[in-house]
Amino acid sequence: MTNTLHRQGDVEHLKKDYVIFAHTAKGITRNGSGPKLQEFMRICLKYHPVNIGDGQQGSIYKDNTDIQTLIANQGDGAGAAAVFTDLDTLGKVVVDLIRADLGISINISGLLEEVQACCRKAGIERHSAEHSLGFWGAKDRLPEREVLEFNTLCGHGMVSFNFIRKMIEHVKLRRLTPKKAAKIMAKCCECGVFNPVRAEMLLEKVRKGDKVTVK
Amino acid sequence: MEIDKKKCVGCGNCHAICTMGVIYLDEDGKSAINQDECVECYTCYRVCRSEGYPPWFVRALRKVLSLFRLGYLAEMDVCPTGALTPPQLEWPRNLRALFSDPTTVHPGTGVSGRGTDEIKSNDVTGRLQEGDVGLVIEMGRPGIGAHFRDIEKVAMALAKLKPHFERANPVTQLMVNTETGKMREDILNEKVLSAIIEIKTRLDRITEFLNTLEKIQKEVDTVISVGIASRCLPDGTIPHEAWVKKAGYPLSFNGKTNIGLGRPLFQED
Repeated sequence: MTNTLHRQGDVEHLKKDYVIFAHTAKGITRNGSGPKLQEFMRICLKYHPVNIGDGQQGSIYKDNTDIQTLIANQGDGAGAAAVFTDLDTLGKVVVDLIRADLGISINISGLLEEVQACCRKAGIERHSAEHSLGFWGAKDRLPEREVLEFNTLCGHGMVSFNFIRKMIEHVKLRRLTPKKAAKIMAKCCECGVFNPVRAEMLLEKVRKGDKVTVK
Repeated sequence: MEIDKKKCVGCGNCHAICTMGVIYLDEDGKSAINQDECVECYTCYRVCRSEGYPPWFVRALRKVLSLFRLGYLAEMDVCPTGALTPPQLEWPRNLRALFSDPTTVHPGTGVSGRGTDEIKSNDVTGRLQEGDVGLVIEMGRPGIGAHFRDIEKVAMALAKLKPHFERANPVTQLMVNTETGKMREDILNEKVLSAIIEIKTRLDRITEFLNTLEKIQKEVDTVISVGIASRCLPDGTIPHEAWVKKAGYPLSFNGKTNIGLGRPLFQED
């Protein structure tokens, strides 16, 4: 999930965007991981994430998806993810995960300093960390910053630039509410890391003609 | 992806959803896909649920509505007639789906998505140890896609610096020679949504690698998302931060943190 590394936005927006995910290592922690991943999802669910899912089954925004069925069907696999919009709630999830001692790797994508503070408050020190060094190469092929901010909310880039523009247009024309448009965008993201609350907030801003900023 | 022309009514819903923007309306009024540019991500198929209407019914409805200058406006996440059809892919085209469809698990790594572990399991694998740095070079992201011929250019440029290409990485597994970064000839024209070159080197070589990347980025026709990772010190300090700053590159405020709950925790010698 390098995917969650490159989320764009200013610090104020990023403060409302934390992805926590469990990941298993092939040959070490993957065999027998099904019940642990289920427990990870149950712990996250207790704190009402704005999105949750895994790459194999999809997220809760997929058509006809019931979260309890999604959890029950979670077998041994690479991992699962959930999205939270504030640090306090994330902190509670971390405390519960420490207590649960699942033995699988837990990662958090978000503001690094804030995540570190959250870990320390829970009594642990971070193990490894990764930064984004931004976009390189043929940057002239990239779209406007507003579009990039939505696109990077899905780590695998499944919300296309054209679809984002279409959603913005529909919201501006009041054919869709920001909430509905954000929900449709979230449906494109398979592994459940898209943050529909942040997308809704951004759409609300764009609707009124406010410019979205990118760090 | 393929479109069943007998079913398609040309509503255009799948056009915008296409991650590569390569679905278009053909002269016959039905949608078609530029197969050279399609990366087989299947987003169109997954997002546009089939409403299962008979094509004749939708076409008739559209004709009637057009008489009154009205349009047929389907929900935007549906395919009214279920015309999108995933094909049976064969080598090397199936590589497109392996790298672009996040629901597909890479056979070589057992990981879905782009198939990489990076620091996500570093607490149990110890892949990056004290003094190591990991570079994660994602070609084609965001939203542009990449051909393997461009991925090879970057891999070959970096290979000259003798890095350690991560063995459990789907791009490394397609190299014919990790000493040179040369990739299989038969895949060079295949296009994927993105693919990750994953290497490990020592912290004091960061400048060298980033400078090489800076040069080669001008020779590829796609974008690159670059990530850098290391094992934190006991006090939580991120060792690569100082080296990257020294090299003159800006770091993001946000990033990924492995909080070290995996067991058994890898112990360094």
